[in-house]
Order: sequence, then C-alpha cells, then structure tokens
Amino acid sequence: MEFLDLLIILWAAWLVWRRPERERLAFRLLVVACLIMALLFLVGTRTSLVPGVNI
Amino acid sequence: MTVSQRRLRTILAGVVVILIAGPVGTAVVLGVVYGESPCILCWAQRTSMILIGLVGLFVLRYGPRPRYLGMAVLLGTSGVFMALRHSALHLARDVGQGFAAPIFGIHTYVWSGFIHWTVLAVIGVLLLLLRRDSAEGWRPELSRTGRFSMGLFVVVVGANALQAFASTGPPPFIGQSDPVRFSFNPRHWVWSLDEWTGGAISWRGSWTVSEPDVAALDPDPAHGPLAGLPSLAISRWEQIGVGLEGTLTDLARDPESGRFLAVTDRHGVYLLDSTLSRRLHHVILDPGYSIDLSPLAGAAFLGGDTLAVLATNKSYVLLRPDPAADADLEWRHFLATDGGVTELQLGRFATVRARQMYVMSLAYDSAADELVTLTVPSPRHRRLVVSRFSRRDLMLASEHVPATAAGLTPSTPDRTTLADYVVTGAVVADGLLYAVSAAYSTVLVADPQGRMVRAAYAVPGLMRPIGLAARGPQLLVAQADGRIAVVERPVP
Repeated sequence: MEFLDLLIILWAAWLVWRRPERERLAFRLLVVACLIMALLFLVGTRTSLVPGVNI
Repeated sequence: MTVSQRRLRTILAGVVVILIAGPVGTAVVLGVVYGESPCILCWAQRTSMILIGLVGLFVLRYGPRPRYLGMAVLLGTSGVFMALRHSALHLARDVGQGFAAPIFGIHTYVWSGFIHWTVLAVIGVLLLLLRRDSAEGWRPELSRTGRFSMGLFVVVVGANALQAFASTGPPPFIGQSDPVRFSFNPRHWVWSLDEWTGGAISWRGSWTVSEPDVAALDPDPAHGPLAGLPSLAISRWEQIGVGLEGTLTDLARDPESGRFLAVTDRHGVYLLDSTLSRRLHHVILDPGYSIDLSPLAGAAFLGGDTLAVLATNKSYVLLRPDPAADADLEWRHFLATDGGVTELQLGRFATVRARQMYVMSLAYDSAADELVTLTVPSPRHRRLVVSRFSRRDLMLASEHVPATAAGLTPSTPDRTTLADYVVTGAVVADGLLYAVSAAYSTVLVADPQGRMVRAAYAVPGLMRPIGLAARGPQLLVAQADGRIAVVERPVP
C-alpha cells in the first residue's frame, strides 16, 4: 500500500511539473495520498490510537 | 521585514530541496546502503514529509493559495502527532534501547517529530513575512531552482517507491511493524498482510485500566478459583470507634506499640490507639498537590514512628507524628490536620510486572526492611504480582508472580490462576505474607518473597474486606464499614 501511495504522489508531482493546467486533478491526488497515509497509520496503531503513555 | 514573490519562490524551493534531499533522501540511502527498512509507522511519517514537499511544489507552481497552506499545516500537525505516537513506544525505555539505528544519536521516529515541528515553524515565519501582494499575480513559470526541486522530488520519491515495492510489496500488501532489512534480492523480500488483521480498535490499548472497585465482587468462597479450602472461623467482631472522613480502605497495626493506622478513600489518614477508640493524630492529604494520589488503599508502620500510606496508583506518602510540626510548612500537604503530623516523603513506586495495574494493599516486612504490594487484576491485565520495595531507596527490590502450591486444587481446570483473587489487604507476620481477597473472602498465605502461595483459607461471613492486620496469633480483617473480623492466624 505504501508503494501505491508513493506512486500517487509521483503522479501528482508529475502533473504539477509537466502538466500545470491539471491542477485540480493534482490536488485531488494529493488529498487521496494524504488519506491513504492516514489510513495506513491508523491500521498500524488501531490497537492504541493515542500514545501509550501516562497521558 | 517582508519577502518579495521572487524571494519567496527561492525560499520555498530551498525548503523543498532540504526536506526531500535531507530526511527523505537520507532514508533511502539508509535503506539501500545500510539495509535499514522502515516499519509501517515510519513509512507513514516519511510519506507525510514527502507530502509536505509536494505541497511545497504546488505553492511553487500556483502560489500560496489558502488550501495549500491549510494542507501544509494539517500535515505538520498530524506529523507531530504521528511522531509522538510512534516515539511513545520507545521513549520510556532504558538508555540506548531505541528501535533501529540512531542518526546523530537520535532515532528516526524522533527526528520526524522535530522535522514536522520545524515545518510548522517555517510556515509560520513565511506567513509572517509574506507581503500582501506576494500571492497576487503569481507567475506559474518555474525558476531554475524550482525546476531543480521538482526534478529532485521525482527522483527521490521514485527511489522511495522502489524501496517501498521491495520492502512492503504492491497492494494489498502493507508495511510491517518489525520489518527485515532491505535487500535487492527478491528472495529476501517479505510482503505481508499481517497488519490488516487482528487487534481490536482501542483508544489507549493496554493503558485502558479502570480504577478498581470491590463493590461488585462475589464474596462467596465457594465460587473462588481454588476448591476444597479449609475455613477460618470468625471468633468475634470489633469496631473502629471513631468517626472517619470517607470510607475505610485499609488498616495496619504496629506490633511494637499496638497502635492502628487507618486510611480512607477520601485521603484520610488516622493514627488510632490500641483499642481503636481514640484518635491520636489525623490528616487529610491533599491529593492534588504535586504527585497524583488516587484513593488511598494501603497502610503500614515502617518501624519507629514512620507511617506509610499508599494510593491505588502506587503513589505513596511517608508521614510521622511530630508535636513540633510546622503548621505553615505542612499546609501545602494537608487539606486538614490536627497539627501533629509531618510529611516526610511523597513518591511513586515504579514496577515492572505490576506496571499498568492498580494495588489495594501495603505491607511491611521488617526482617528484610522492604515494603510489599500486591496487584489487583483488571480485564486488560489478569495476574497477581507481588512487588517488594527497599525501604532504603523505595525502589523495586524484587517482583514475582506467585505460583500455587501443589496441594491447592483449582475449582475447575480452566481456573488455574490466582488473578481471580482481588487482594485488598496484606501483612507480613512471622516470616509469612498474608493477603486477604475481597473476591471470594479468602486469605492467601505465601512465602514473604511472594514466590509461592502455600495455603489458602476461606473466611465465611466476610463481606468484601478491605484491609488486613496481624495482632499476635490473630488476623484482623477490616471491612469498609469499620467492622473488624478477628480470626486465628494460620501458620501452614
């Protein structure tokens, strides 16, 4: 899944660099990449969502 | 001082280059050259830094639009949280006990927090310096540094993608919590789905431990985890004859003077005479001053005039009757006092096996000069742990999960644990550790180190006892209502 997320980021960066008129698509890809990152972090921490210390 | 559009472009390109070539590029080098593979949380943190770099590219190309700045701030704050969550797994461990190799003495998960925090600081500074017209008429053309930063981004992120493919695999494979080192050899690649499965969603995980409450416990010895226990008959009942602030939660007796020490759930500490009918001294501790004091649940005499009281969260207070107590000095310690008590020390017991568990008992082993606590179980942590602390430095001296002697028979094959007992009182007498359980009204007798429970006795007639003291050949079992059952002290 991390591989997929980085591919999406690469796609967005490519659009910003080489196809700047596709800003809307690039920004949507950025949002999707953020959501995937958040999902993966939640998957990794779902058994204790907040830091495991004396809060 | 403000920055022009041209200077802002240069600064932004520089920030992207530093972020991508620095931590993100270094991470790839660590993986390819040194074989270091990121765990699933490291990947998320690294991706967050890459996404911040991507937002920087958006700003370079399209100008500082509000949604880009908003996205950058969101990524910075979430990145700081991710770093805190990840670092919390390791920060409290012993010296040098991190996870994977440190860089300049600091581990990557901590670096990530610092970098995200710095990103937020940089955004703040840039916003402060931004001129009103900096964003107006933004030209989409890229400068040489802008093009360089874009090219560097694609190269470095492409390298990261290749590393991700090797170490985590294509979807639906996902990063691992404990990954193997990076290799170019596909036979060494581990693609895993483990993180998708198992583990219920929880806010605090193993830290979800509710405060102990004996009110709902079953007092019937016949329902306990041990079968066929001999009984101890209650020979008579005694009663604390003075009023207490709050409900009684433990009782101790000084074998030298015969005085009693009683504590309550409202932080009352009472020194009583040997007949339990006269209050010699009393204080109400201030639970909000300095170290947290949850409800008191343990009391012990430490020899001489030193009194020890213990809260359920293993915070302790040492006190001493003192006719010359300075009222102004003690005002901070006590919500109420008779003026004749001084606080000697306030601290917290640190445990290992008993960590994340509450206690409801305190005993003092004068032969070893050590204090003893026993844990109460919770749904998260079902075990009985005997912890001993040196009186000299009040640090952990030993800790055991006691075994059960061969003669003690489980009531059913699946109930082989002593953790079903909820120990609410303990005392050391004649080289034996006695503990009373509010669940199943049972007295456990163990060696003083707590390695083995040698015997157990049912005490019919008790109703959720909360304290235990010894008086010569007798055990005094205290209940929350102030009544004290007197039973013969067994010596197995």
